[in-house]
Amino acid sequence: MIVIAEGIHVIAKTVNDAIKSRDKKPIQDLARAQAEAGADYIDLNVGFVRKDTEETMQWIVNTVQGVADLPLSIDTMNPVAMEAGLKACKKRPLLNSASGKTDSKEQMLPLAKKYDCDVVISCINDKGMPPEADSKLDSIMNTVAYANELGIPNEHIWCDPIVLPASTAGTGQDHALATYEFIKILPEALPDIKSTVGLSNISSGVPVELRPFLNRVYLVMMDRSGLYSSIHDVLDEDIMKLCRGERQNIVDLIYRTWDGENIDLSSLPQEEVNYVKTAKVLAGEVLYSDAWLEA
Amino acid sequence: MEYSAPVEAYTGIVRPMTIGKGAKAITIGGESILPFHFFDEGSSPNPPKFALEILDMEPYDWPDFLVEPYKDVISDPVKWAGRCEELGADAVCLLLKSTDPAEKDSPADQAASLTKKVAEALNIPVIVYGSGDDKKDAEVLPKVAEACDGEKLLIGPVLKENYAVVGKAILDHGHMAIAQTPMDINLLKELNVKLCHFFPAEKIVIDPLSPALGYGIEYTFSLMERIKQLGVISKDSMTQMPMIANFGGEVWKTKQAKESKEQGLLWEGMTAMCLLLAGANILVLRHPDNIKLVKETIGGEIWQK
Repeated sequence: MIVIAEGIHVIAKTVNDAIKSRDKKPIQDLARAQAEAGADYIDLNVGFVRKDTEETMQWIVNTVQGVADLPLSIDTMNPVAMEAGLKACKKRPLLNSASGKTDSKEQMLPLAKKYDCDVVISCINDKGMPPEADSKLDSIMNTVAYANELGIPNEHIWCDPIVLPASTAGTGQDHALATYEFIKILPEALPDIKSTVGLSNISSGVPVELRPFLNRVYLVMMDRSGLYSSIHDVLDEDIMKLCRGERQNIVDLIYRTWDGENIDLSSLPQEEVNYVKTAKVLAGEVLYSDAWLEA
Repeated sequence: MEYSAPVEAYTGIVRPMTIGKGAKAITIGGESILPFHFFDEGSSPNPPKFALEILDMEPYDWPDFLVEPYKDVISDPVKWAGRCEELGADAVCLLLKSTDPAEKDSPADQAASLTKKVAEALNIPVIVYGSGDDKKDAEVLPKVAEACDGEKLLIGPVLKENYAVVGKAILDHGHMAIAQTPMDINLLKELNVKLCHFFPAEKIVIDPLSPALGYGIEYTFSLMERIKQLGVISKDSMTQMPMIANFGGEVWKTKQAKESKEQGLLWEGMTAMCLLLAGANILVLRHPDNIKLVKETIGGEIWQK
């Protein structure tokens, strides 16, 4: 599993303030910690960068490259910021992301070709977000075909089915399953293609102390379906242990739950009970509520 | 080619619940089929029940034709409740509207003694709704529960803000609880999970909120449908409770219902029919004519199979 570190994100106040005041330290501290935690890429979610676009992008990229010897994932919707960011990268970066929206296809994909980098393509298109595995696949196949015509081969493309919060009443759990299905059927439809997800979105809106359970279990499930890469919180030690295969007992437990085995919870320690309960929610077997670990 | 319709057999059962003590008792829930799916295996042994709503103060915004059946008793809630019984209600739902800080902010003791008088005067069970102000209800509903100890009232709304206090009082005095959440399946389940840490699931009725026809009823329709499916098909223990549809107040504040008697009756009757189809087990109406109208529409014998 290729791990992309999330966290250098303009929504975070410390990051936003640091960019505004050109204070390298908070960003470098974070990047260093992410590299030490075992990240393969560092995601720079810089927003739209309306002001001093090119200079700001150069500053951010160089700030991170100053302390971390890792490739970067340049995460912006602004093609000008994207190009400036890609240009400043020392290692072959990841363009994050293009979508099937006309503007994005026409502006972002040529940059991936020009800078010979890998590119994340999401399944969003001009009509919005396709809800089911099949419709996601249709959408992404169109965009991939477009990219292929520009000379971008499948092995440079990382498909992103877009993870949505499992807690959304009525649709969240179904969507979590659809995304899982998508990853499973992807290689057959598009050989040599890679995949990635913004994992933490699965637990968006959930009480903050409970979010890691959903993140970790969903990662194990997505890994089983063949996911190539994940953008997540690398500072969560447990999730990194799961990624490195160091907690095989938990992985097995999640698989068994997912396969429908009726596991006797009374014999398990609390931590394992929590993983089983979370796996049941993400398998769509039990209705989600914020109290899912208490039930 | 011969066609035989598929027959489903589900394994989940909505918990049956008896409200009211002794000879007053009525039972709701207990079904193992989806609403009106009499063609499937399983049964729905307790037909839906119909409560008429009364207020603890004289209503000031009811149209004349809604007041009419109660005109001579409407200033006396005990007599008004008696009239509801005469008119064929299965239960009386007492809304403690005057306790609302935005109305008269009347004291908890007054509400408690009135509820006791109403409960004692009737031969049918009583449902009690606080004003919905979570803080005031946390004072009022425990007093009501205490004053009516052992009457097996159905008391609500128990909300996420006050479930610990209100739930405990309801339990301590032998009543049943109406757990209310604002039209969201996940919040509904969360409240039930938290309540069930100390409160028996067998004594909970779900109130998902019931807007009137034309005012968002479709949200409650699909929510009730889902609650019932999860309970009967998926056996989710936290949704296997009977449901209450309390829409009298919602219907009769619409301009359509207030326009004419005939339209008002149909507005309330159609709201009732929709929510019965969605799976409601007990309904709170305001116009007595609708009890007969809706009961005739859904039939009686078919429920006894």
